[in-house]
Amino acid sequence: MNTKVFLVDDHRLFLAGVKSELAAEFSIVGTAYDVDAAIEGIRNFKPDVVLIDVHMPDGGGVAVVEGVTETNPDIKFLALSVSDSAEDVIAMIRAGARGYVTKTIGPEELADAIRRIHAGDAVFSPRLAGFVLDAFAGAIPSTEDPEMDQLTVREKDVLRLIARGFAYKQVARKLNISIKTVETHVSSVLRKLQLSNRHELARWASKRRIV
Amino acid sequence: MERSFDLYRRRSDRIAAGVAGGVADMLRVHDTFIRAAFVSLSMIWGLGFFLYIIFWLVSFDDVEDREVEMVDGQQGIGLGMAFLGFLLMLRVFGWWPDDALVWIVTAISFGVAALTDRSLPSPLTSLLDPGVEQPGRVRVLIGVSLLVGGLAFMASTIGPVAELGAVLLAVALTGLGLLVAFGPWVRRLAQDLGHERRERIRQEERAEMAAHLHDSVLQTLALIQRSDDPVRMGLLARHQEGELRDWLYGNMPLDGVDLVSTALRGIASKVEQDHQVPVDVVTVGDISLDESLRPLLGAANEAMVNAAKHSGADRVSAYMEVDEESLQIFVTDQGKGFDPANVGSDRKGIENSIIARAGKAGANVTVESEPGEGTEVMIRMKLEGR
Repeated sequence: MNTKVFLVDDHRLFLAGVKSELAAEFSIVGTAYDVDAAIEGIRNFKPDVVLIDVHMPDGGGVAVVEGVTETNPDIKFLALSVSDSAEDVIAMIRAGARGYVTKTIGPEELADAIRRIHAGDAVFSPRLAGFVLDAFAGAIPSTEDPEMDQLTVREKDVLRLIARGFAYKQVARKLNISIKTVETHVSSVLRKLQLSNRHELARWASKRRIV
Repeated sequence: MERSFDLYRRRSDRIAAGVAGGVADMLRVHDTFIRAAFVSLSMIWGLGFFLYIIFWLVSFDDVEDREVEMVDGQQGIGLGMAFLGFLLMLRVFGWWPDDALVWIVTAISFGVAALTDRSLPSPLTSLLDPGVEQPGRVRVLIGVSLLVGGLAFMASTIGPVAELGAVLLAVALTGLGLLVAFGPWVRRLAQDLGHERRERIRQEERAEMAAHLHDSVLQTLALIQRSDDPVRMGLLARHQEGELRDWLYGNMPLDGVDLVSTALRGIASKVEQDHQVPVDVVTVGDISLDESLRPLLGAANEAMVNAAKHSGADRVSAYMEVDEESLQIFVTDQGKGFDPANVGSDRKGIENSIIARAGKAGANVTVESEPGEGTEVMIRMKLEGR
């Protein structure tokens, strides 16, 4: 059975373009242009993967991810955006999105990202890897759970290679580990991002906004 | 905004000019106490009254409190009648200090009241501007005559008692009269100017934004419409995207300090345009750009140009990371690569230019490549004493 994909974007032209690119390989079960319609549509059609724009009126992608995850925690989100500030993207991942790619991504890469997300992996574009490294740089471990607030050396190595433009396969070869291990590291980074000390990341976000 | 130390006159929930309410707000006590205090102090040689005037002069209109309660004509006449009735009652009961004093105070206070009503235009505009409605002008004329009459009467009553100070007193009283009549107007004018200035700044910001969008985004869109080469269209769009992102999300120099990340993005964008190959830039951390770092950027530029020209890859990645100890720049492509052990003389020259350039600045450069596996140039520099 084809993977069921739902598209959310307030730019109809972009939505139409993505839809025609993906139609051959996936079954596009629905589209929505705003937050409310998206939440309703996703609950109705129960897609496997939702492709969602970060920037939308009335709360943006974060509102949709939060709204849907409340009732349907097994639906997976891939964030997609063009005008991304680091803190918006991080907010999206913290809300529960499993990956982030820029809208300039090619159709092949996008299809690949959707397949990965569906398989339960995390999808880190070079830019997201950069944002995450930036967010965890210099984070002081909290007393409660220091492991949650810091990335391991290996995780940082993986993120750096992704940020340098290498695909998972190449990352695995460079570090002499298997692709599966690379995916495990990336998923663990994602989990840390979602569970880590809110205070530290908030401080990072506010610092970024000033600089 | 917290403004506990500023004295504002209330516009809503006020009895006279809102001064007592303002003082109460400032001290965070109930306004009834403040009002009672003013009234009680007025019993002692009119101290409360003068304090009220002083506070009124040093306080500001609460511009955020928009509710201006206007007293319409009928209500005004009613209040006047009630006041006169109260005065007559005092007289009947025998608590009447002195005819002259009461009339002076009454005339002056009514004059001031007529002149300082906020719902009316300023006294000068009322007199000079023919556009002002008749009631306003009449009101100002009545106010001025009451005020001047009251002051003159006061001068003439007190004058004979202290003849030596008569002239001085007259001058002081005239000054006071003018201050009362036109002081608020002058300050209101200053406030209006402040408003105007803020409005003008806002408009300038809008104009600047419009100009920026016109010079950048609209021009690029026009170019894209005229272009029929998809690769060129894509590059134009990418370049514009990067520029707009920098402008929107503050990758701009802070306080005139140029950042290495900004410089690197600038270089990448130039390479993109010159060689028609997209260059993705990702940066982690940042540092201000100084002369000692320029050779590194020059080397990075050289590496990007090489990748764009020779690798055959459809995109180039540039990654920069700054931490406390070092600055690192990686320029990576997934192109055809080459065998470093077996490079042609032309390649050697290019490599030398990268390595020598960065080496002079104290940086360490490594080039990794394999045929069919792409190329990566790594530039590292230790940061000491920063």
